[in-house]
Amino acid sequence: MLDHILSILIFFPALAGVMGFMIDKGSIRAYGVAVAFVEFALSLWLWFAFDSNVSGMQFMENIALIPSFGINYILGVDGISLFIIILAAFFTMIGIASLTETKNEKNMIITLLFLEMTMIGVFSALDAIVFYVFWELSLVPMLYIIGAWGGPMRIYASVKFFLYTFAGSLVMLVGMLFMAYFFYQATGTWSFAILDWYRLILPESFQLWLFAAFFVGFAIKVPMFPFHTWLPYAHGQAPTIGSVILAAILLKMGTYAFIRFSLPLFPDASVFFMYPIAVIAIIMIIYTAMVAYAQKDVKQVVAYSSVSHMGVIILGTFALNVEGITGSVFLMIAHGVVSGALFLLVGVIYDRRHTKLMSEFGGLAHVMPRYATIFGIMLMASVGMPLTINFVGEFLSLLGFYEQSHILTLLAGIAIVVGAIYMLTAYKKMFFGEVTKDENRNLPDVNKRELIALIPLAIITIWLGVYPKPVLEPINNSVEAVVQLMHNKSTTEEAKSRIPNVSGVVISKTSTREAH
Amino acid sequence: MEKYLYIALFAPLVSSMFSALFTNTPKKQFVGIIASLLIFSAFVSSSILLTHILDGGDIVHVEMMTWMATGNLYIPFGFVVDQISVTMMMVVTLVSTIVHIYSIGYMDHDKGFNRFFAWLSAFVFSMMILVMSDNFAGLFIGWEGVGLCSWGLIGFWFHKEVATWAANEAFIMNRIADLGMLIGIFLVYWNTGSLQYDIAFPAMAHLDSATLTWMGIFLFIGAMGKSAQFPLHTWLADAMEGPTPVSALIHAATMVTAGVYLVIRSNELYDLIPHVGLFIASLGAFVALFAASMALVNRDMKRIIAYSTLSQLGYMFAAAGLGAYWVALFHLMAHAFFKALLFLGAGNVMHAMHDELDPFKMGGLKKVMKGTWIMMTIASLALAGIFPFAGFFSKDTILEAAFAEHHMVIYGVLLFTAGLTAFYSFRLVALIFHGEERYKIFGIHPHEAYKFMLIAMSPLLFLAMIAGIFQTPFFEMVEEILGATEYHIHSHATLLIMLVGTQMFVGLAILYAYKKYASWSSVPDGSSVIENSFIYKLLYNQYYIPYGYEEYIVKPYNELSAALWEVDKKVVDASVDGIASIFYSAGENTRDMQSGNLSTMLKWMVVGTVVLLSLAVVFGLAARYSGEIMSILSGLGV
Repeated sequence: MLDHILSILIFFPALAGVMGFMIDKGSIRAYGVAVAFVEFALSLWLWFAFDSNVSGMQFMENIALIPSFGINYILGVDGISLFIIILAAFFTMIGIASLTETKNEKNMIITLLFLEMTMIGVFSALDAIVFYVFWELSLVPMLYIIGAWGGPMRIYASVKFFLYTFAGSLVMLVGMLFMAYFFYQATGTWSFAILDWYRLILPESFQLWLFAAFFVGFAIKVPMFPFHTWLPYAHGQAPTIGSVILAAILLKMGTYAFIRFSLPLFPDASVFFMYPIAVIAIIMIIYTAMVAYAQKDVKQVVAYSSVSHMGVIILGTFALNVEGITGSVFLMIAHGVVSGALFLLVGVIYDRRHTKLMSEFGGLAHVMPRYATIFGIMLMASVGMPLTINFVGEFLSLLGFYEQSHILTLLAGIAIVVGAIYMLTAYKKMFFGEVTKDENRNLPDVNKRELIALIPLAIITIWLGVYPKPVLEPINNSVEAVVQLMHNKSTTEEAKSRIPNVSGVVISKTSTREAH
Repeated sequence: MEKYLYIALFAPLVSSMFSALFTNTPKKQFVGIIASLLIFSAFVSSSILLTHILDGGDIVHVEMMTWMATGNLYIPFGFVVDQISVTMMMVVTLVSTIVHIYSIGYMDHDKGFNRFFAWLSAFVFSMMILVMSDNFAGLFIGWEGVGLCSWGLIGFWFHKEVATWAANEAFIMNRIADLGMLIGIFLVYWNTGSLQYDIAFPAMAHLDSATLTWMGIFLFIGAMGKSAQFPLHTWLADAMEGPTPVSALIHAATMVTAGVYLVIRSNELYDLIPHVGLFIASLGAFVALFAASMALVNRDMKRIIAYSTLSQLGYMFAAAGLGAYWVALFHLMAHAFFKALLFLGAGNVMHAMHDELDPFKMGGLKKVMKGTWIMMTIASLALAGIFPFAGFFSKDTILEAAFAEHHMVIYGVLLFTAGLTAFYSFRLVALIFHGEERYKIFGIHPHEAYKFMLIAMSPLLFLAMIAGIFQTPFFEMVEEILGATEYHIHSHATLLIMLVGTQMFVGLAILYAYKKYASWSSVPDGSSVIENSFIYKLLYNQYYIPYGYEEYIVKPYNELSAALWEVDKKVVDASVDGIASIFYSAGENTRDMQSGNLSTMLKWMVVGTVVLLSLAVVFGLAARYSGEIMSILSGLGV
């Protein structure tokens, strides 16, 4: 069974989703929770069976689809994708478990199960075409979730989300086709397998163009400034569950793809574009943080804060060293947990008051102390308090980029200041002061169903902040392999010097460890 | 010994978590008692570690587990008890034990009694991490942790707008400094390859001076935030909105001294860059004077003590900057004792006066509050540096150090500030405890605090009186690690003149304060000449710095944020929608072509044919005359 665990992980929720049509409306929630729980257990089993000392791909599967064009169904996980897969399974599970009363509950749960298939598919695909298929398929359930269960502007928001990201992906697809063609020219055989592509060394001029093509697709997905404007609409209109999955998992596709495709395929181009991208990342960090501060709607604060944090992830990725990339992968997990939790928390108050305007709240800490406490923990995680999950990622990302540029890191570090400003202000507006609105006087505190989702997230937030090693170590090993590959493949002098040679470093690491 | 280290470190955490269990339940006395006992056990463990170190025992160094390890980076949770950290541990655990016990009485009627102890103990835990860590990352954990607890405790009464505002201000302002600290940490890592003190500091000796200078500057920026040095000082006075035990523990004795601790801990670095040290010392001397000047006229009891803290922190930085690390550490310790005492005394007064803070509305309280009166007077004597109280030994040594190092300007400023310190301290004491009972106008019936609160304060009273005798043993203990030099002024006569002169100067300042304020009878209403003088207004408004920050930083930030949001909607997003609408309107405008009307279709067919034909002709001609076209173009220089 372990040989095909990835296929099972991908298709089990989809099959269960199809079966779900036959389930009675009354028991669909229990069914959904059961399916998602089994899926999550399977993903934990994957982690258990995963050998964290191996840096390469594990649990690989390979089935020929269109051999003449080198399109194969290839799957595999390494330390970089493993935890995002687990996170996807986890969020689907708690998302379904904590789902509030929705109309057409059955459709929602089936949609979520399909969404789970596409998410896990994206993070385990090792063939560009398979990757692309899942990447695009993931738009459909989300389009449906926003369009069917969203707010008043749901059609505009969902169409914008779909068309914007779809347009970007098409450019990426062109890039993939060119890449395969270059591979064909170089070797005489067609292949869309990413691992095959890793072996291909392209001249820098080719790399620049291909990097740009992939960049468009990824940057819109992340979303990077100035392609981020679909996100506030999508979050603003999406139901809570949609926002949670979108922020926690779907955004990570873009940053993950940078590490899976852009860096190892185009190391010289990555170095070439490092500074421009870092500048974009810094704009994302500061600009969107300021926009977040200006928001009146608490969900928009969290939405813009997502963009700001994604900026740190991008910066860590383009540090191009082990510390930075490991940090950015870790921050993807961290941001998934924390922003997912924050969106759930916003959903809690929205269910009670049917408004997200902060001016409608105030003094909630008197009425809902438990809610205020959990929100407080997530707030502190979001601003990067040490011993919470976010800090590890943020610290490592910034630390990594510091090697590349001091002044840009200083600017990016403003993240910790502006992040505190919008988050604390929002918290103050919502929770502190006297209760001014009569509607808020008798709000019930968080109930059991909400705690099912929030407590595990709070535990993970602290646990991985205090003891990140179980996650950090596998990520580190795989990232070392990526960095080494980049170093070996790079052709320009600058790239060779910017991207460290890990194998030389490993020895000194053991010696430092022995020194302790 | 490791066992004691762990008890000292984790007893506060246990205390915090235990108290946190009861946050949503009504007040429970035993929460306060158990929390105090746990903190006391940390104090006992620290004392055992202190005797171990004093007996010449080995430095206790443990590595609990890995925190982060990636690439070359390796950060463990490692803790070290050496001469520096054991001093800090003693200060932290002693003052916090007293403050915990005191709070049982002080927070007696507060709804958030249990929550208060959860935060307070969490603070102690963070502070212990800060002082005990054996690496910069661990220090940073504690550094941010105390910031978090400070946020929670300043804003403890979260229904008060000013309190939550002050909490956010403190947090954000500290964050600005933390960015500097973080950059300093990055610099240390990329240049020395490690964040462990015992690897990083020795490696610094081989680095070039420019790198070290930046390192020193960035780390000091971090210290400036926590220790509220100019220009990041405004949060400290506003932080007085928190409960008074918090002010005593966090904003006087422990957290604000973290910056000083950082400089002392990094003594090996700052020894290599004396020019940065001189800057630190100069800034310290400036802040000492600057803060003391604001304390002269303030009418808020707690703020006066806060400015006094700020001023004393300036003294500590002056000493540390001049390389007299042990002197700074000693003053840190002595200051913690008498300043905490002063604050707790102020807490008693506040309780008695129903949270009235203006000393002009008090007066004559010594009759009803004898114990508090004696304690605050002695604390003020210690603060002023009168022989034989604690401040005399610690503060005079700073002056001597400045003198011995031939920094006469710094010496002069610090000496002058000593006079100001004496004046404002006794202005406060005189206004509160002497003179007419002005509180009667306001119908307040003051009463002394609970007896056990006074008893809890008594160890601080004792230490404020006798801490001076520890000077020599303390010096002997830390000299090994801080490379200490004893600052002896060579000529015995000079020393004597200095000591006597300083004492007389300070004594005169005290007498002047008494003379001026001890028989004060009215509550100033802002109409007197002095209250309308420029200097008074300048000082009373804190040099207009908070106003400047509000006007030139906060407001522009608000406006810029709002403007950027507009940009986001009306430029960035509008251009996306614009591109989309181009496609949309292109389709919209051309759909008439496909109307199915035969005559329209024929019309477009003709248009299409003409276009295609003309294109064919143009290309045909171009192909035929390509040679000529080329020559014309080249003639044009294309």
